[in-house]
Amino acid sequence: MKTKNTSSPGPFSILKGMEKGRKLFLLLFTTAAIAAGVPSGNDILTQIEHNTHMTTDITATVSLTQQKTGQGIKNIDMLFYRRDTDNSFLIIMTAPESEKGNGYLRVEDNFWMYRRNTRSFQHINRDENIAGTDAHGDDFEDRKLTDLYSTVRDSSGTEKITEDMLGKVPVYRLEAIAKVHDVDYPRKIYWVRRDNFLTLKEQSFTLSGTLMQTAYFLKYTPIEGRFVPVEQIFLDEFEKGNKTKLNISGISTHAISRDVFTKAYLENLSK
Amino acid sequence: MGILLRISLRNLLRQKRRNLLLGAAIAIGMAILVMANAFSHGISDVLFNRILKYVSGNISVSFTQNGNRMNQLFRDGDRMKELIRKTVPEISSVNEAIGIFSRVIGNARTDNAILVGMDLKSETDPKRLADLKENFRLIEGSYDNLARKDLENPVLLSDEKAKSLNTHMLDVLRVRFQDVNGQNQAARVTVAGIFKPANVFMNTPVFLDIGNLKQLAGYGPNDIGQLYIMIPNPKKNAIPGANALHVALKPPLASAFGHLEFKGRSATATALGFRVDSASLAGLMKLLPGFFADYRLMSNDVLVGKALADSLGLHAGDRCSLSYPPKSGGENVTATFTVTKVLPASTNFPPNVIWVNDRAFYTFYYDHWPSPPQSENGAFLPDSTSSLHPFLCREWILMNRSHTTEEMQRDLKLLPQLKSHAVAVGVPTMYESASMIINLEYALNLITLGAVLILFFIIQVGVVNTLRMTIRERTREIGTMRAMGMQKNHVRNMFLLESFFLTLFSCFVGILLAFAGMWLLSKIQIHSEGNHWDMLLVNGHLHFKPSVLGTALFMPLILAIAAITAWFPSRTAANLPPSEALGHFG
Repeated sequence: MKTKNTSSPGPFSILKGMEKGRKLFLLLFTTAAIAAGVPSGNDILTQIEHNTHMTTDITATVSLTQQKTGQGIKNIDMLFYRRDTDNSFLIIMTAPESEKGNGYLRVEDNFWMYRRNTRSFQHINRDENIAGTDAHGDDFEDRKLTDLYSTVRDSSGTEKITEDMLGKVPVYRLEAIAKVHDVDYPRKIYWVRRDNFLTLKEQSFTLSGTLMQTAYFLKYTPIEGRFVPVEQIFLDEFEKGNKTKLNISGISTHAISRDVFTKAYLENLSK
Repeated sequence: MGILLRISLRNLLRQKRRNLLLGAAIAIGMAILVMANAFSHGISDVLFNRILKYVSGNISVSFTQNGNRMNQLFRDGDRMKELIRKTVPEISSVNEAIGIFSRVIGNARTDNAILVGMDLKSETDPKRLADLKENFRLIEGSYDNLARKDLENPVLLSDEKAKSLNTHMLDVLRVRFQDVNGQNQAARVTVAGIFKPANVFMNTPVFLDIGNLKQLAGYGPNDIGQLYIMIPNPKKNAIPGANALHVALKPPLASAFGHLEFKGRSATATALGFRVDSASLAGLMKLLPGFFADYRLMSNDVLVGKALADSLGLHAGDRCSLSYPPKSGGENVTATFTVTKVLPASTNFPPNVIWVNDRAFYTFYYDHWPSPPQSENGAFLPDSTSSLHPFLCREWILMNRSHTTEEMQRDLKLLPQLKSHAVAVGVPTMYESASMIINLEYALNLITLGAVLILFFIIQVGVVNTLRMTIRERTREIGTMRAMGMQKNHVRNMFLLESFFLTLFSCFVGILLAFAGMWLLSKIQIHSEGNHWDMLLVNGHLHFKPSVLGTALFMPLILAIAAITAWFPSRTAANLPPSEALGHFG
């Protein structure tokens, strides 16, 4: 299951940071846009970006429940620390037993994987998987949704945004296309609440238009004026029956000590 | 000497039964030695010529992106192929090799597979084509089906894979994979052939026409994946060829020359990339100590010289663009940068240059490879004597030539430390990519030799014993010959020659026995599906590869052992006084 978040409020995206001080402007902007009718695609993407990007240090417990056809259920738990100033992060696995104590540390351009059984750090690449999930190191880089995707336009040049209903919730349905190469999916469709621009559903497509993944954002928690999607489900549309549930709990926005983002701390934590 | 030879040969026939038994023991020992040697060579042959040749070529040129060996891409393919053809003599073929991990959905079953590009069009050598078809023997469909246009992405897959996916000829499968950019893609493929691989390792690949696969995986017209170079006599030519290629692949400085534009103003400028590993950043800062005392150079910086910035009205935070001619021809392309700092005038940092961090630099550079800048047009191209040179980006990173698999893996692990987005080019041969196979063969040979030497030691005890018995039986004969004037050394040589001929004839018989045994064993069909012993088999049969050199070396070794063991009893016989020998009754 895909857990990548560079382009959408995926499992880890809310844990990333972005520039501060735009909140008031965006709220006013959004209010004006709603008053004027259907907002532009860029406005919606900007608002999604604004809603979900935290601007403080973060500590959280992340639980992934992966269900794969014929392979049963696998639970992966991890502690996550993120420093806002430079996007450094530290992940320590707490479950399953085979992964317990293993960790990942990223400071500036250095990205290390720690293996508890060998007590060794290994430099890894930004596109390597984290803990057997589909999340990569580069998922934690500070990239704006608006830099990655733009709204698809039809033959007349009109943006593909429609007013829609998702169950009983009024939403905007926005079709987006990647502006850059290094994203997981070149096409996406977002269902975004009309009242507060929170993404409720997201579908990811290949270039040829094959639906690969549907994500549902079941529950958000407001923290420091932003929204954290604390319950998400990712359905594998290619290999039906595979799904991943993601829960985020124990969120803290207190400043994290500099000592946390060190090899010594990770090694100590894994004992 | 002639008479000694005759006497020795005649004596061999005198004790037929005894010599026959002794000769049989030596022959069996020799046969085991030859067969064991041929078997270990056979394992190497299977691994090198029936597996590795297809998965790594005799020499391969790898283009690793972001330290990920599975992400092979080089965007100036024709240039690389030309360079290879110029550098490596006697190339049989240069083939593109693309393998992509994928998930395949068949009929209510799923499995992992590697999509592998097959380039039958460029394979013109009938022998290699026959080899390929023997190693991947089709049991349904045909190789020509890969080129069929009426089938959607025709593929060939192994009978095992077809079974695991519950699929048959002309079934449509769905595959999921990541393209060259790391984007998830899906495609439908049609089963156009089912093959039975000669070796169990070859069950995983699903073959597509290379053109089809490149299109699906997002390769551009001038993009290539890994290159496999096939050469005649690879054992002799592969390593020298790779060494020569490694020298030729020394990467030139990467640069783009064009017009830097900002708010309607334009100035000619050279874009140079700077390396962002800690040592390079520190080295660059030392070149402008005054300026960098207050400012720490960062891995995301884009710097512009003051004169260039002033002429365009550029300041830190401004987004400018460089318009430059691409190598592929056509209209100029544009790369955009956000300037993070304006550099003061300095002799170390010339004015008409925009200094771009590694990541931003390679992003535009590889997307549209620039036409090579010329210094006569005003481009700034520092040579190797420049203090800047060690810190600047090259067109690629050339990896060291590794001599073993371990060295190669260690170098690959070190790649991320460079923090570079440059393509890492490596030139391993199949012998280095799989040095453990050579070690395995060496170990097998050593074990075999050790075991056979013990066997021969036991046999030689028999030889000594036999000789002692013979000498005892022929003591009076020795006395007679000595009395007739035969010298001591002739008596010794007579017995030595007797042993020598016995061993020599036995060795020849042993070799014949070995070949007969190998022929017989290789005829036995072994069913070992799912068993790791599969790797030792070719089409379900044991594979022996006798080595002429190995056999030729074993013979003198065994003859020498025979001569040494025969020496002492022969000497004892020679030293018998004639009078004592003539009076011997035993």
